[in-house]
Amino acid sequence: MKLIKTKDETLEENFLELHYNTIDAETTAVLDRLKSSFGYIEGTIGERKTTVALSDIFYFETVDRKTFAYTDEACVEVKEALRDIIGNHADAGFIRVSKSSVVNIYKVKKLEGDMNMRVIIYLKNDEKLIMNRSYRDEFYEALKKLQGGNGQ
Amino acid sequence: MKLITKHNFFYIVCVSFTLITTGKLLLERIDGFTDRYYSENIFTILAISILGTLVLATHYYLRRFPFIPVFIGQYLVTIGIVCLAIRIGQEFTDFAPTAYKDMIISVTIPFVIGAIVYYVAFFHEIKKANKLLENMNH
Repeated sequence: MKLIKTKDETLEENFLELHYNTIDAETTAVLDRLKSSFGYIEGTIGERKTTVALSDIFYFETVDRKTFAYTDEACVEVKEALRDIIGNHADAGFIRVSKSSVVNIYKVKKLEGDMNMRVIIYLKNDEKLIMNRSYRDEFYEALKKLQGGNGQ
Repeated sequence: MKLITKHNFFYIVCVSFTLITTGKLLLERIDGFTDRYYSENIFTILAISILGTLVLATHYYLRRFPFIPVFIGQYLVTIGIVCLAIRIGQEFTDFAPTAYKDMIISVTIPFVIGAIVYYVAFFHEIKKANKLLENMNH
């Protein structure tokens, strides 16, 4: 199986296209790995049901025992609890940063430390999240793991 | 990650005790100093090793709280225990007149060094993580 990367500066959104004759074991394995990144989650905005791509979600947050997913434009209430999101979508880059929030590591712009040893997470949509000290090691491990995966 | 567990607690105390005692003996040999309170000081080193390891062991359980209040709290509790131990010890044996001052300095120095090392490691880790994020984003 070959990988061909083409740079096109006119594109508004990156895309992957698969050309195949038959889908063999190697291709299936690659698709399985991609599946987690291209997964969707169901939720509601008010009374309306909706589906959101995991890759569009910046972070999940629990408020009053309800879980919300935040994209660039919407706030969607989802049924899954934070621990289920970590269990089911960790491969898509979701990592816990505090008792009440889970961040999409691919949406993190930068980190900053404060005097109380808490880490401020700056997201690509310019929102900020606070990472507690107890979740720091887990976050760095996930980041190193992803970096290792990207480098391969 | 929990670095100090009930399985390695006494091992860490023993290593700390050996290192501090060796350092004390080396300094005394270099200085030609004779310690008049030798046995009392050996027991003090043992007590400090146990106390220091206990303080570090609580770090894992206090990580969800802000660092500065935790650090100040740990420092005050340690100083309190040390002063109380001196006060109780004075009932049974003689202490140097500067015992309180010496012990407060002995506790403060490792606390300050520990805090500096911790802060430097914290900001270094963030710098490393930002580099990884930069690589990922470009």
